[in-house]
Amino acid sequence: MTGKQRILTAMSLKEPDRVPLYIHAINEQPIIGIGRHITEGLPDPKSFYEMNDQEKSKLVDTLFLIHETFEVDGFTSFEIGHEIVVDSVHVKDDWGVVYERSPYGLPVATGHPLTDSNKLKSFIPPKPKPDHLLLLDLGRERFKGQKALFWMMRGAFVRSWRLAGMENLMLKMFDDPGFVHSLASMVTDYSLEMLDMLIEAGLDVLIVEDDIADKKLPLISPAQFQEFVNPYNKKLVEKAHAHGLKVMRHSDGNLWPILDIILETGYDGLNPLEPQADMLLKKVKDYCGKRICLLGNIDCIDLLPGGTPEEVDVAVRQAIVDAGDGGGLVICSSNSLHPGVNPENCIAMFEATRKYGVY
Amino acid sequence: MTIFNDIAEALQNGDQQAVRDLTRKALDDGSKPADILSSGLIAGMDIIGEQFKNGDIFIPNVLIAARAMHTGLDILKPILAETGSKPVGRFVIGTVLGDHHDIGKNLVCMLMQGKGFEVVDLGTNVSPDKFVESVKDNEINILGMSALLSTTMSQMKDTIDKLETAGLRDKIKIMVGGGPLTQSFADEIGADGYAPDAASAAEKALELAAC
Repeated sequence: MTGKQRILTAMSLKEPDRVPLYIHAINEQPIIGIGRHITEGLPDPKSFYEMNDQEKSKLVDTLFLIHETFEVDGFTSFEIGHEIVVDSVHVKDDWGVVYERSPYGLPVATGHPLTDSNKLKSFIPPKPKPDHLLLLDLGRERFKGQKALFWMMRGAFVRSWRLAGMENLMLKMFDDPGFVHSLASMVTDYSLEMLDMLIEAGLDVLIVEDDIADKKLPLISPAQFQEFVNPYNKKLVEKAHAHGLKVMRHSDGNLWPILDIILETGYDGLNPLEPQADMLLKKVKDYCGKRICLLGNIDCIDLLPGGTPEEVDVAVRQAIVDAGDGGGLVICSSNSLHPGVNPENCIAMFEATRKYGVY
Repeated sequence: MTIFNDIAEALQNGDQQAVRDLTRKALDDGSKPADILSSGLIAGMDIIGEQFKNGDIFIPNVLIAARAMHTGLDILKPILAETGSKPVGRFVIGTVLGDHHDIGKNLVCMLMQGKGFEVVDLGTNVSPDKFVESVKDNEINILGMSALLSTTMSQMKDTIDKLETAGLRDKIKIMVGGGPLTQSFADEIGADGYAPDAASAAEKALELAAC
């Protein structure tokens, strides 16, 4: 089987030839750390925006090479080129959201342009642009149908809170529900239009990337999720399915209080299944493993940063024992491969998947 | 007692106007400001904190309750200051250097105020030096540090080391919290307290303030 067939089979809840392997997201440091085992000429670890063109090109090529060398079956791409640099620490996206860069992690939205209905009334949303799909185009050209192409699409909640501010958005759920609906509707229209481009570009799996929970609980109540978030994300699911794509729901945190709603929405996959948030693989498999494919759960908080390759090997073997039966499992870390993970442990995860994953 | 119960209930419903009106009415009726604070506002926030800790309510409910609490606090604070009434403690908090995530830290601020603490919020991306300066400049009982990213957690130990170097470590209690943290990490870096959620943090702070 090709990697693409392997992923799509698992997401159809059938057994592929072996358990697929997937990297949902990966930072520059682990790309460089893992990459040093398979190529030369990589820059010292630093953020992408600090690299010159040659270094950027090398980093992207190394990302592809990691997928090829370690037989990672799916490749994730995301929107690029939609941000402008404001100053040394701030960038602004084409919605007007300002992000603060940090050497410790992803940029965080700190400037919110649409805080109330009045501002929304006069706001003209941006249009998705084909050149923002560059990473997907590069992946498609490189992998030539061998790997499943994933696209990270922000969902209604994340896009809305970035525009309005998270606490403000939550207060508006009480004070001005119409505003919250209007925001969600506007960002979903944008995403649906972008989905047209992605379908045209040969996408295989849409990721609805919409973090909605912390380690303990969802950030909003199940009723608020059902009113303000899920109906909008469901439009993405329905459109993607109508065009033959698979759809994976990504959210950090403990999703148990809203898991039934997510399942009823019709997603094909669930990621990243954080063990620290009670999203224990066996427990989730027992609850809904016949309804949704599970992608994730190899612990990136403690194990991948601080464990040994032998411990990672054991964890992958156990994950396959716990959730591999009948298909519907894709090995992946319990969130992004972030700057703190040990590259040797990542490689151990890749190798153990091949070693134990054969059906 | 009824009006205090009414204040607590209005606060739980997030009814700003009712909390404001009832607080004024309680004062007009001769209630002591400290009693309105403890039996009305703090009592209401205690229930919110407990429900939040148990997973019965979610962050938006805490936000509207805290906002309602502030309408009462705004009336009571100047009067309490005149009477020389002291808060249960002074708590300074910030998200550590490199970390811009603040909703967890903000919830801790709200629930600390709901326990009667005076809170100094240093915001996000706070350097160890800024934490140290804040302890120097304010009469602080407890310092709280928050981190969402595992890559920024080490800043907590750096801050504790700098407090020790400045001779301030033993004058305060230190609490830490945030998504990737655990009790063992808190123990390892020499913090005095850890809590897995904002409501538990407020309870832990009360314990530490009493030590």
